[in-house]
Parts: sequence; structure tokens; C-alpha cells
Amino acid sequence: MNRRTPLSQAAKALGVVVLISLSLFPFYWMLSTAVDTSPLSRGASLLPSGITFEHFRHVLFDAGFLRYVRVSVVVALGTVLLSGVIALLAAVAVARFRFRLRTQVLIMVLMVQMVPLEALVIPLFLQARTLGMLNSLLGLTIVYVGFSLAFAIWNLRGFVAAVPRELEEAAYIDGATWGRMFRSVLLPLVAPGLVATSVFSFITAWNEFIFALTFMQDGAKYTVGVGLRTFFTQNTADWGSVMAASTLITLPVVIFFVLVQRNLAKGMTAGAVKG
Amino acid sequence: MSTAPTLEKNPSGGAEPFVRRTVPRGRRLRRGAAPWLLLAPGLIVLGVLLLWPMLRVLNLSLQDYELRNLLRGDSNYVGLDNYVQVLTDPFLWKTVLPNTVGFAIVCVVLTMIVGTSVALFLNSLGTLWRSISTTAIMVAWAVPALTGTYIFVWLFDPQSGLVISALDGLGIMDAGSYNWFTNRWTFYAIATLNVVYHGFPFIAVTMLAGLMTVPDELYEAAALDGASAWTRFWQVTVPTLRPIIAVCVILSTIWDFKVFVQIFLMPGGDGTTREVMNLGVWSYTQSFAQGEYGMGSTIAVLLTALLLVISVVYIRTLMKEEEL
Amino acid sequence: MIARRHVLAAGAAGSAALALAACGGGSGGSGGEVDGEGKTLTFWLMEGTNASADAYIEELKTAFAEATGATLDVQVQPWDGAHDKFVTAMAGGTGPDVAEVGTTWVPEFADAGGIDDLTEDIEAAGLTEGLVEGLVDAGTLDGQTYGMPWYAGVRAILGNREMLEAAGVAEQPQSWDDLLAMITALKEHDPDWIPFPVAGASIFSAMPFVWGAGGDIAEESGGSWSATIDSPEAVEGLTWYTDLALEHDASTAAATTWVETDSLAAFLQETVPMFITGSWVPATIRADNPELAEKLVAYTIPAKDSAIAPSFLGGSLMCRFTETAEPELAFELIKLVTTGDFATRWAEETNYFPGTTEALDEVVAGGDELTAVFAQQMTEGGTTVPVTPAWGKIEGAKTLSTMIGTILEGTAVQDAAETAAEEMDGFFAG
Repeated sequence: MNRRTPLSQAAKALGVVVLISLSLFPFYWMLSTAVDTSPLSRGASLLPSGITFEHFRHVLFDAGFLRYVRVSVVVALGTVLLSGVIALLAAVAVARFRFRLRTQVLIMVLMVQMVPLEALVIPLFLQARTLGMLNSLLGLTIVYVGFSLAFAIWNLRGFVAAVPRELEEAAYIDGATWGRMFRSVLLPLVAPGLVATSVFSFITAWNEFIFALTFMQDGAKYTVGVGLRTFFTQNTADWGSVMAASTLITLPVVIFFVLVQRNLAKGMTAGAVKG
Repeated sequence: MSTAPTLEKNPSGGAEPFVRRTVPRGRRLRRGAAPWLLLAPGLIVLGVLLLWPMLRVLNLSLQDYELRNLLRGDSNYVGLDNYVQVLTDPFLWKTVLPNTVGFAIVCVVLTMIVGTSVALFLNSLGTLWRSISTTAIMVAWAVPALTGTYIFVWLFDPQSGLVISALDGLGIMDAGSYNWFTNRWTFYAIATLNVVYHGFPFIAVTMLAGLMTVPDELYEAAALDGASAWTRFWQVTVPTLRPIIAVCVILSTIWDFKVFVQIFLMPGGDGTTREVMNLGVWSYTQSFAQGEYGMGSTIAVLLTALLLVISVVYIRTLMKEEEL
Repeated sequence: MIARRHVLAAGAAGSAALALAACGGGSGGSGGEVDGEGKTLTFWLMEGTNASADAYIEELKTAFAEATGATLDVQVQPWDGAHDKFVTAMAGGTGPDVAEVGTTWVPEFADAGGIDDLTEDIEAAGLTEGLVEGLVDAGTLDGQTYGMPWYAGVRAILGNREMLEAAGVAEQPQSWDDLLAMITALKEHDPDWIPFPVAGASIFSAMPFVWGAGGDIAEESGGSWSATIDSPEAVEGLTWYTDLALEHDASTAAATTWVETDSLAAFLQETVPMFITGSWVPATIRADNPELAEKLVAYTIPAKDSAIAPSFLGGSLMCRFTETAEPELAFELIKLVTTGDFATRWAEETNYFPGTTEALDEVVAGGDELTAVFAQQMTEGGTTVPVTPAWGKIEGAKTLSTMIGTILEGTAVQDAAETAAEEMDGFFAG
């Protein structure tokens, strides 16, 4: 399976180069527009017509973008943690137990993803107002948890189901409580699934716009999703700032992914799966 | 939920965890309620926060509801009029639905193929290059959909974009001679590129996590039996990963049906070019853009119902009952 | 569902009370008698119109506190999603006291009862005269004015003097024929140029030609509207305009789906010698490309037989929300922002025109040639789209840009106009 012929090595290297360059090309375009001295007149040239950091400076200092980033980081991390915990518990429920309405619960969780967002804006806003969740970061976090639960539960269900019961029982025989078993047996093996789930929850909370805009009465609580839109005015768009803001929005997600992957992917190679 | 006493054999043939002598009595008795307790936080969030609004949407779909109704707090029931109006609109059947279904199918298939291929490729790399490559493809997912769409639009600008400049340079097409955004097929080709680009990292990362849980012995055994890489993929990888593939396909289908931003922001995609409208944009311009909240809710209900049917069909065919 | 008190009744009562108080009090001096000590007023301002909004806001807060003793809370909102923001705020009772509302939204909000009728307040404050007509019209529904004109922009032709002079046509066109002659000359001079892009998705580039032929989008009679986009005059205007692209090669295939910003991008790349754009754009060009900014020249959009055709006047009005607990205080703020120094200053900082004719004259006097041309276009040719809540629906359904797009793709003008008229009549009928 691991024939290391020069040909396969070269093919792999080529594959890596193609994959990385195609994946990064739009990002390159975004970044180069963000530093372009005259972004509006760029056209088709591969290189920007001049390098300037004015757009970044404007976005960070004049528009106070760091404030949006701070708010978004809190909300996004909150979403990841809360949604991870809730989804994991729910995943254990549907993967390990057989009960009536199990299929229905799974489908109901999925239904949330099916409703077009714009239709939910007013009803959800009114419901949040009734529950006193408006203008609070926690309230917004809970909304995002709701939106990310579908994928989280469905995805983690597969990983929980894949953990052999013998391992669990072995832990019980050794006298472990459910909590201990969960932490030392189940969690490490489910961790790889948590990577995709966490990133998905993070991105859901990070890029969302319409609820962040309508929920907050105080402009100081706007997220980066809203912040990005502030550079689109009624008749014009400040493309330099839009691209600079987009770059600032893209990077934390990638950083988050790197951190999560490094810490959770370790679980994959632990070898416990092979029993 | 019946709980079997310790000494009887478990009647459902192994689907429930064994009841061991060492399991404390308290836990045994609680087992019936256990799944619901674990589900409680999730169900509370979804039920309290989202179920009521969804019911409200259903309620609004039966009304002719505009801004003045909203502000005055009065209702205006018209029964199924909205549904009739939507379902008897030939534009829906001739243009919107075919665009949406076709686009969704192509996007899901391509995203799954590209995402899975990339996952397989990443799985075959050494740790360092795998990390670097995975981080690179993450960037594609991390770029906001709005920004990504504008970038694709610029690259494909028929007058001064990178693509047309290249084509012009090669002598294939003159700059500004043809506007591919006005043609349904070319418009959606570009949109597909955008959506697949933005979506494949999600599939790749999810599938990669799954791939790493497949025990090597299964592959070795298959290889010993003389199976080729292609056969190994279909006989070992796919069956093992079926639950994950199912999740990815179902969610991708749902999302690609509802695509809005990536179409709306393209030239002509905001309703100006009627032939390229998809369900997401059409539902928006037919209703919310006009302040018709009742009609918007109707279309939302119809779309949800459609996706529900599709999902149930998927779940039945892609997954055997026990696996679910 | 929210139990709403009869907001319209309350709004009317509030305004009536104010009018009575104003009439009754003989001593009514110049502003500042409203006592707002200890109260806070919320004001929603739209993002991005003013690059130095922060300084403006700070000084506005100070001035307001000095005049009334009340604290001013200014929340800046992005345009994107603003409609949803307004609607949810009005529905949920979490809206501001005062807000800047775009001209195309005022009829809709007024009809729904979300913003107050300010007619009497304006009269009582003696401000009825001296307001820019186009803005007043945009905010008037059934004879009542729902907003105080604040600022407006207008569209005219912006050109690159260098390119125009190279082709020998750097002069104000006095009629359609003149414009066509300019285009022909430019095309002959350099076939790679796009002499006059016909931006298919920009209805405000097309409407001046409908208006310039004597036609109109729709007409009102007896309180109801009907579409006239398929009338002979309107069709003539549309035909002439789209023929520029279809017959005279003035445009490019790409422009069928262009909005104004796309034409601007092409102009910045110096492939376009002139195009229709808004009065706020020269400032953007100065920021993006100072060299090009030196070469700018402006012309009014010609009508069929004269130099100035009507052109869309769009902007914002200051509106008071019906939910406000402080109607008099709110109107004090409205007065402060829309008249006097703050109005002039806003106009200068944003490169838009103010809503009062007095301030407008000041801005023109202090501005450059470009300002003068745009101002002339506005005062002599500023007009609005049909002022009715149904217009919001037409805009949302993109009826007119679809019409132009299909014409550019080959549909006969009369057919496309009739389809559009039919759709519009459907909306007007409710």
C-alpha cells in the first residue's frame, strides 16, 4: 500500500501543489485587492497596481474592526463549546440508545436547516424578544447553537456509534463511572469528529449576518458578519476595505482550525479503534 | 422503555447495551429516561427557540401579511390562497424548480466527488504535508461566501476579468463580446464553480476524519485478497463510511437547494435575469423583497416540505435501519 | 403577535397636540424650549455616507445636549440588511426615536404606520418653504409629509475630459442627437473604447431617457396608479437608449448585467469616456485615483430636444418613529440636523446635496464645476419614482431592470414594456 516509487512521489508532490494553489488563489485575489492602491481599477492584472496598507489601517482603526472581531470571537467560541457539549450528549443518546421517536428526533433536528433563513428573521426576532434574548451575546450564541446542532448531532452520532461497546464495558468492569468512561474512552475516539463539528459551528457563528444585525440594539455588539457589510453603502462599495475586512475575517477561522486539528487529531492516531 | 432485570436475556437481540451485574441499580432504573435526559438540552434549544418561529411561519403562510399587518398586530387569513398562487405559477415549474434541482444535483455530486477525492489524497500524505494541505483548503471554506462570490464575479467579468483576458490573449474570444451571465447554462456553471469551491473543504475535512477511523487491517485483508485500489475503495471505504457520507449528502443537498447569496450577488442574479432564478432568490423577490411576509412564509413552508421529503427518502435508501 | 395600540391614532393625536401647542403659545421663539433634561434620544444613522461621521456625531451630541439638555445615542447602521433591521425594530418595539430613512422606503413605512406624519410639525416650525421639491415629493403620501428632507444625490453624465477632447467632443450635449454625435465620434476615434455603457441593471441610467421623451414610469389619477412605461413616449425613450447599445455599438455585452458601480470600474480603467453616475462619485474617484480625478467633467443628461432631462433624485429623509416616547424632542433633533450648519456640513462632508434650498445654494457656491452641473441637474431636472408603497414591490421584483435586460438581449421594446407594465399594474392594484 505504500509503494514509494519516484513516480508516485512526484505525482503526490504535483497533487499537493495543484491543490494548494487552487485553494489559495481566490484568497490571493482577496489579499492582493486588499493591499491594492486602486482596487476599483484592477481588472485582470495578476498583481496589484501598488501596495498599500491604507485599507487595513482604515478597517482596523477608523472602522474599529477589532471590536467586531472581539465580539465574534466570544460568540463563536461560545457556540462551539455549547453546541459541542449539547450535540455530544444528544449524539450519545441517539447512537447508544434505541427508543421510540429516535428517527423522528433526528429528522426534526435536520428540519431546522431546511427553513429558509429570511422566513425566520421576523418570527425568531419576536420569539427572542419574548424570551429576553435580544441585545445579548448569549442570546445570539444560543441561536447559533440551534443552527449548528443539525450537523453536529448527525456527525457525532456516526463517530459515537463507531466506538466499540467492548471498550465501554471494559471501562465499566474496571469500576469507572459513566463520567470517567466518557472522558477517557469515548471522548478521545470521538475527537476527530469534533474537528469538523467545531469548525462548522465556528463558521456558522462567525459569518452569520442577519440575526446579528437585527438582534443587537447596541452597535458595539455587532459581529464581523455585520462589520463586513458596513463597507457596502447605498450606492457604492469600498472594495479595498471589503477585501481587507474579509482577510481579517478569514484568518481567525483558519487559526481556529489549525488549533483544533492539532489538538483533536491526536486522538485519531491513538490506535484505540483497532481494539 | 422497559428495563430488563439483570438475569434475563436481552430480548431485542443485542441492540441495547448489555446489563452487567456490576451496573449499579440506580443507573439501570434510569436507563429508560437516559436518552431523553441526554437529549434534553438540545431539544430545549431547538424546541423553545426554533419550533415556535417555525410554527409562526406556518401560520403566516396562510395569511396575506404585509408590513402594516405586522405593525398593527392584526391577522389577515386567506386560507390556502398563497399556496395556490405559488403552485400554479408556471414560472416556478418551468424555470425556478428546474434551475434549483439541477443546480443542487450537480453541486452535490461535484462537491462529494471533489471533497472525497481530496480527502483520499490527504489521507495518503505524510503528517506534515497533510496538515499544510488541509490548512490550505480550509482557507477556501473560511473565505466568507459573500467575498468569494464577488471574487468569482470579478474573475469572470466578461469585459475585464482574468478569464476573458486569458481567452482574449489566446485568441479564443474577444473581451466584452459575450455576457455569459445572461445565459442560464454559463451562469450556473460559474455559480457551480463558486459553490463547489466553497463547499468541498467541508466534505474533505469530514471525510478525512472518517477515513482515519477505518482500520488498516480491513485494507490489508482486502489487498491480500487481490483487490485493486478502486475495489478497495468501494468494498471497504464506502461501506464503513456510509453514515458520514449520508450526513454529507443530506446536508449538502439541503444547503444547495437553498443557495441564495452566491446567486443573488452575481450579475443579473438578483432577479434582473429571470431565467437564472433559483428557489432561494425567487422566494426572496416574490415575497420579502416586496414586503409580502405571508407569501414568503408559504414558499418557505413548501421548500421545507420538499426538503423533508427528499431527506426522508435519502435516509431510507442510504442507510439501513439498524445503522440509523 | 404583538398587541399594538392604535399607533396611527396616537401619532395623529401627538402631532395635533404639538400643533395646538405651537399655535397657542404666542411667544414661540427660535428653538430650544423643549426640555429634555435627563432623557435619552436614540438616532439611527446610516453607515458610510460620511467618511468623517465620528466627528460629526460627537459635535451633534454636544449641540443637542446644549439645546435641550437631553443625551443623544447615535447608532450607525449598515445599509445592507437595513430594511430588515427597521422592520424587526418596528415590529418588536425596539426601534429608535429618529432615523434616517431612504426615500424609497418612506412611503412603505408611512403606509404601514411605522413613521410619523410630520406635516404639522414642519408647518409649526415654519419650515414648509425652502425645501428641495424632489425630496419633499418623495416623502409625501396622500398629501401628508412623513419625513424632513435631509440630503439628496442626483445622476448626470460624468466624463473623462482627456478622452473627450481627444475625440473633439468635450461639450455639453444639447439634445439626444448631440449625444449620439458624441458617441459616434468617440467610437471612431478609438474602437476599443466603450463610449457610453448601457448598464442594463441600472434603471436610473435608463429612466432619464424615458422622462426626456416625455414619458413616465407610471401615473396617478384619483388616488390610484397605473403604469405608463408602455406609452409611446416611454417606448421611444427606451428604444433610443437601448439602441445606443444595440445599433450604435456604444456599449458592451458585459454591460447588460452592469450596475452603476460596474460602469464606474470601467471608467476608472479608462476604457469609458463618459457614463451616467451619481453626484457623490467624483469624491470616490478622488480617493481612489487622484490623477483621474483631475480630468473629470460633468454634463447634464440631455432630453430629446433640450439639454436637461429629468433624472432620479434619491436621498434620505429624517423620520420620526411612531413608537417614540418623546415626539417633541425627536423633532428638535430633526430640525437640528436638517437645517442650518449641521445640514450644510453633512452635505459638504458627504458630497451629497442638502435638503433645504438655502443650504443647497451655499454648497453650490462653495463647490467646483462638477458640483454646479450636478446641482443644475437636480434643481432643473430632479424627479422621483412613483411615490407609493407599491413602488417598493416593483423595486423588489426588479421589474424595470428585467425589462431593460430583456430588451438588450433581443426582445422588442414594445413587448418588454408591455410585460413590465402588466407586472407593475399588478402591484399597483395591491
